[in-house]
Amino acid sequence: MATAAQSRIKSVSYAKYGYIFILPFFIVYFVFMLYPLIETFRLAFYGNGFTDVVAKKGIGGHNFVGFENFKALLFGSCEGKFSNFNANHSVFFRDFKNTIIIWIGNFIPQISLSLLLAVWFTDLNVKMPGKGFFKVVMYMPNIITAASVAGLYFALLGPSHYSVINLLLKTKETGADPVKWLEMNSVWPARFIIMFIQVWMWFGNTMIMLMSGIQGINESLFEAAEIDGASSSQTFWRITLPLLKTIMVYTLLTSMIGGLQMFDIPYMLNKGTDLNGNGIITSCETVAVFIYNKFHGNDTSKLYGISGAASVILFIITAILGALVFYVQRDKDAIEKNRKRKQAIKEAKRRAKGGGFSI
Amino acid sequence: MNKLKKSLALIATLAIASTAFVACGDDSSSSSTADNSSSTSDSSSKEDDSKDDSSKEEDSKDDSSKEDAPKAEIKYGDDDPTLSVLCWTDNDLKNMIKCFAENTDYTEDQVKYVNVGGGGEEARDQYITYFESDGDADLFVLEADWILDYINKDQYTDPLTNLGFTDSDFDGGYAYVKAVGTNEKGVIKGSSWQATPGGYVYRTDLAEQYLGAKTPEEMQDKVKDWDTFTESAKTVKEASNGKTAMADTLGGMWQVWQYNRKSAWVDSDYNLVIDDFCKDYAELAKTYYDEGYVTKEGQWSAGWNQIMQDDSTMGAFLCTWCFGKDGTLSQMEGNSEGKLDGPTAGKFNITAGPSGWAWGGSWLAVSPKCNSGTIAHDFVDFFTVNPDTMKTYALFSGDFVNSPAAMKAIVDEKSNKNDYLGGQDQFSVLYEAASTIDMSNVTAYDSVLKSAFNNAVTKYVNGDYKDVDAMIAGFKDDVKANVGDLTVE
Repeated sequence: MATAAQSRIKSVSYAKYGYIFILPFFIVYFVFMLYPLIETFRLAFYGNGFTDVVAKKGIGGHNFVGFENFKALLFGSCEGKFSNFNANHSVFFRDFKNTIIIWIGNFIPQISLSLLLAVWFTDLNVKMPGKGFFKVVMYMPNIITAASVAGLYFALLGPSHYSVINLLLKTKETGADPVKWLEMNSVWPARFIIMFIQVWMWFGNTMIMLMSGIQGINESLFEAAEIDGASSSQTFWRITLPLLKTIMVYTLLTSMIGGLQMFDIPYMLNKGTDLNGNGIITSCETVAVFIYNKFHGNDTSKLYGISGAASVILFIITAILGALVFYVQRDKDAIEKNRKRKQAIKEAKRRAKGGGFSI
Repeated sequence: MNKLKKSLALIATLAIASTAFVACGDDSSSSSTADNSSSTSDSSSKEDDSKDDSSKEEDSKDDSSKEDAPKAEIKYGDDDPTLSVLCWTDNDLKNMIKCFAENTDYTEDQVKYVNVGGGGEEARDQYITYFESDGDADLFVLEADWILDYINKDQYTDPLTNLGFTDSDFDGGYAYVKAVGTNEKGVIKGSSWQATPGGYVYRTDLAEQYLGAKTPEEMQDKVKDWDTFTESAKTVKEASNGKTAMADTLGGMWQVWQYNRKSAWVDSDYNLVIDDFCKDYAELAKTYYDEGYVTKEGQWSAGWNQIMQDDSTMGAFLCTWCFGKDGTLSQMEGNSEGKLDGPTAGKFNITAGPSGWAWGGSWLAVSPKCNSGTIAHDFVDFFTVNPDTMKTYALFSGDFVNSPAAMKAIVDEKSNKNDYLGGQDQFSVLYEAASTIDMSNVTAYDSVLKSAFNNAVTKYVNGDYKDVDAMIAGFKDDVKANVGDLTVE
């Protein structure tokens, strides 16, 4: 029998205050994150446009249409009243290709550059004056908003006689056409410029992340390697890189997710290349830009369904690629060990059980 | 004791939680429109106490609008003495607010410009978001291309009769302006302060040098139709060694052409209409672009202003709202605000150009959230109904107002001189064109279709499509991909 004091103590449970205090976060999360996520999935199965005509046809934004949006995007094989949207099929795949190309083209140089700089900055033998200064300067582009960066590069390379590079090239004086770095038929220059901007903006950030990874490695390992006469490249390949794996996987994963959703630079650099303030450079339109373009417009062209379906497809692809990265990068030794341990336990159990029956 | 602690903790938590929902927007007095409408019967008494500090307003209303103001009631209260006008730019509004304050007893502080979006297309999307916030919204500005999105929806726009106007109040303006502001049910929901006929603005010095045209009349002879215009372009190109183009941008040419399309973009059975117009324009654009008859700059880009300051172009297609105080033309001449100090300041003249045309225009609409009824009524009345005040505004700002009577008076008096046009009166050139404006072809699909067509043409002149047929096919695909309810063959 508990005393009165004991039962009173029991009744004062402070746990619930904890829940109450974290409630604001969850409310915000549910309203602004989870609900939109679920809504996106719902919209992917609804129609497009909000005019009376589409509503009557049963393909409007309020009508349930099943998998038609996915069919239109993935195969372009819709029939009847939905067939207009088949035209999105090729656009979607083109944009997907652009996204992958631009991401790969920015990730590989970015990670190489960052890794190189991170190793240099953390190497005790490299006596570089003003390390802090360089770190700050290299991180700087990341602080500028993407809109400003896009504006800056547009002013430099815009399709006009009066953009900075063309002024330097004196295209106007010589009577030549303005060099349209960011123009339709120059597929690669436009992509290359976006890759370059992405590398320039993000290598500082990645470098800092990798540096923290390298600094986390036990210094005695480097010392031991040095005493044993390892060259710096051997140290890098045999010690730094393997021990950096977790942070590399993290970088790869975040960069991949970010890269597949790349929006700001491709969108804003392209904005203003046509009369209506939209973009016409299709070679650098990414999937995220496609999604944005589809849900944004007036009632006739608010394609929430197509937009939602494209988002869901992107989500699934991101999830698959993420899982793949984890699978490839898994710690094989640990898994093998774990498997062996389990096997040994099984074996032991079997033996213990079977022992009774054998002679 | 425990109870107290618990309840204190709960209150603290709720306080924290509630801060999460404090979004942008601060005006607490704005979200009470529905209940206000019931209080209109005693609005006169309400007016008196809400404007305790400015009894002079009452007088001004008395003498300016007593006799012509209809006795229809203003169905909004006056809870907020400040009128909020939503737009994506204050190019027009800053002049309007100044003029309004100078000529009425309201002060400049009583009309507030609220920026929504960076451009018309953006504002189209962002108004809806803004209306859902608790920001104050009384009047807002709509553009011709997408006005139908709003005036056909009662949750976003109220009829102007709610501001105390009758339909006949708007008869004094241009018929097309009234027609565009009328929704599918025949309710007038938008009223404009301007009519927007356009012309061809050209450099007087270059015209004399290359074409020998000394007066606007002589120049008009050189640009009277598109064939002559092309001829002149050729002459100018040869005389200037390819340095000077005849037209400013493809965007400018497009505005003239698209206005002159005879058929609507979409017929009554929701078929996309593609006719000779599309091919003709694409071919013309290609020729002009390849031959250098038009510059390679984009409209509204930084380069657009530059070409008007060096000798890259003979002229540009501009319309009435470009000639306003510190407006588009002034910026193109490189003038700083309120001055005439640009490289080409005052070196331009205007003629009617190869074909009559009009470009856009802005309409004022009233939001159901309006809570500044009297001042909203006075503002709309000042700029879109009353010919006397509209005339004042035309002379104040250089804008072409939506009142044939006021414009005729100004033209007859010869009281208007536009400094950016070297003292020429642009109204006299544009007055004729204004009466022929017809926008009955506008459909709800226009902004999407024109934008898609324009992209196709831009790609075509850049060599992305090998011929016009490929371009048309690309245009059709683009339309299909974005509009579900049109039949595209």
